[in-house]
Amino acid sequence: MMGSRQTWLTVLSALLLFAAGCSREAGGPVQITLQRFFGACDAQYGSSTDVESAEGECGIITTLINRFNARNPDVHVRVNIVYWPGYDQLSAALAAGDPPDLVTMHQSVISDYSQRKLIVPLDAQLRAAGIDPAAFTRAAREGVTRAGHIYALPFDNWAPLWHINLNLFRQAGLLRDGMPILPHSPEELLQQARQFTRATGKPYLVQSMVNEPYAYARNLFTLLMQQDSHFFVDPRRIELETPQARNVLQLFRQIYAEGLTTRNQDYTAATSAFLNGQGGVYLVGTWMIGTYEDASRQPGSPLAGGYTVVPFPQLYPGRDVTYADGHSWVVPRKPRSAREMAGIVRVLQFLWDNDFEWSRTGHLPASEAVIRSERWRALPHRATVAKLVDTAAPLPPGVQRQFLIQQILSEEMESAITGQKPIDAALADAQRRVNDLLFNLL
Amino acid sequence: MNSERRNPILFSALAVAAIAMAAPLLWTLLLSLKPNAELLRSTQTALSPPYTGVNYSDILGHSAVFRWLLNSAIVSLAVTLGVLALSSLAGYGFARLRFPGRDAIFIVVLLGLSIPEQSVIIARHQMFSVLHLHNTYAGLILPGLAAPFGVFLMTQYFRAMPRELEEAAWLDGASRFKTFWRILLPLSLPAQATLGIFTFLSTWNEYWWPLISATNSDMYTLTVGVASSQMNFAQTNGLGFLMAQAVFASGPILIVYVIFQRYLVAGVSRAAA
Repeated sequence: MMGSRQTWLTVLSALLLFAAGCSREAGGPVQITLQRFFGACDAQYGSSTDVESAEGECGIITTLINRFNARNPDVHVRVNIVYWPGYDQLSAALAAGDPPDLVTMHQSVISDYSQRKLIVPLDAQLRAAGIDPAAFTRAAREGVTRAGHIYALPFDNWAPLWHINLNLFRQAGLLRDGMPILPHSPEELLQQARQFTRATGKPYLVQSMVNEPYAYARNLFTLLMQQDSHFFVDPRRIELETPQARNVLQLFRQIYAEGLTTRNQDYTAATSAFLNGQGGVYLVGTWMIGTYEDASRQPGSPLAGGYTVVPFPQLYPGRDVTYADGHSWVVPRKPRSAREMAGIVRVLQFLWDNDFEWSRTGHLPASEAVIRSERWRALPHRATVAKLVDTAAPLPPGVQRQFLIQQILSEEMESAITGQKPIDAALADAQRRVNDLLFNLL
Repeated sequence: MNSERRNPILFSALAVAAIAMAAPLLWTLLLSLKPNAELLRSTQTALSPPYTGVNYSDILGHSAVFRWLLNSAIVSLAVTLGVLALSSLAGYGFARLRFPGRDAIFIVVLLGLSIPEQSVIIARHQMFSVLHLHNTYAGLILPGLAAPFGVFLMTQYFRAMPRELEEAAWLDGASRFKTFWRILLPLSLPAQATLGIFTFLSTWNEYWWPLISATNSDMYTLTVGVASSQMNFAQTNGLGFLMAQAVFASGPILIVYVIFQRYLVAGVSRAAA
């Protein structure tokens, strides 16, 4: 009996010692949970810390976190990878009172969480990390600022771009000194598109037009901004029954009706179509630069030696601007020790210091210094898209549910552009649906 | 089969139907054996070699994938065993015992069939938050144990059994529980097998509840885990990997199906009858 009691006491003591050893506050490394998307690539990068050799979003972020953990033995970042974009899981974790410590968040989504005080302002944390928001690019700073506070560390910006097949442009006589001749007005766009299609037999534009929740809306935002249209009269009301919005839809309707664009393609088909030389200009974001640049270096590819990418051309005389969004890092609200907060600050500082490495993904750096650096401009095509630092602009900061708004607008635009609904009816429906959504926000 | 051979039209129709059903599965398998970059250019290359296992090695190279497999196996088996135990006991009770409110309670249980999961998910999530059950096996298993269909199936099965079997056992001095355990339960094995297989399959494929309850990647089930490891625009830039994930995740299900196929078919026939 005595022996049995001693055995139990020994086991209990061992368990207590083990538990003490596992304690987060007992002197071991502070644990930071980081939720991100961008996928998993353990098989390729595993525990590699060679950031400079890593490729793609997944490879670069994986090696970055590996390197952070290797260099900071007192802080351990534990990664939770989620299916894009991961906001359902974040909301669920917040509701359960156990959110992660750092989360990737689109800048357009920040308002959804900041206005409900679910994420913390980072002004003090960024100061502690020695990060001056004045060092952010203007688009990045606007993207993460809400009500005068910085709610996230911006990681990048991205914008819809014109990816161009120079080989087809040459065939169409739309090259001058090796550079593409781009339109400066809707009329020029239509004229050049017709010239292109006559010469090549292929559509000028490649567009994802089927099951496409975002692209239509991003084009609309860009071209409304270019017309100086203040379509969000306030963050809870959109105004789309305007001549400016009608201009945009009429332009795309005309392009569609004249067969100057690919039709009936979803994102995958359109991405593949441009790669296979089925059109001149693909309207898609910064993230495809690497893929198409690789193709342009492969002999036999329709893009071989003939690919470039430029910002969305200015088609209206208002202002040179392109709608932009971006990725950022937010800190969900929950009680934390000073040590945990210091660990988070260290991670933020590390990510900021490596903004150049992240910008190799194709996204625009959030750091003004990086985007102005020769090192960044030496990357393929970065010099041609660098002007986005001055022309990229997000929606007004207080606008909530931007993902859902884009989906509504894209549905209505698709109906109008493909001729299933009159343009005025589509704009009226889009305005009503978005305003219903915003009016009923809690 | 012989009669089908004698009827070429029927045989041809069945062959066309079989090909139509198998084609997407075969297409998925072929795509999974091609590199992503090749599929980005054209998916037609899937029809011709060379093939590669690189997408599968990428899946197996993920350090957490076997943890997710284990989680799925634990949750699916636990839910299956739990549903079988609870449904059998409840079914026996509703079929054989007389107690006040029996029929009313049975109707309440059946009403559970008409309530979609979506309508209770927020309340359930909050309840589990209060009980600190998220990111635990209990949090993944407990919701699956409420199985009105299982109770209904077992009730109907027990009702169909002759009462003389029980009465003979009672005459031999068996208690009610012993009668249930030794006589009725073994006789209900076909129904148990059907219910067990359907429960296992649906639990294995469950996505939504594990997505919002298991937010810690150590607790992901296979469905949530493989989805999380997809890169952005996976359907475009990582199609081969995506298809390999589909094949990998459905592998265990396929094995279960092959082993228990006759029970499944019998179960469907029984349900139809």
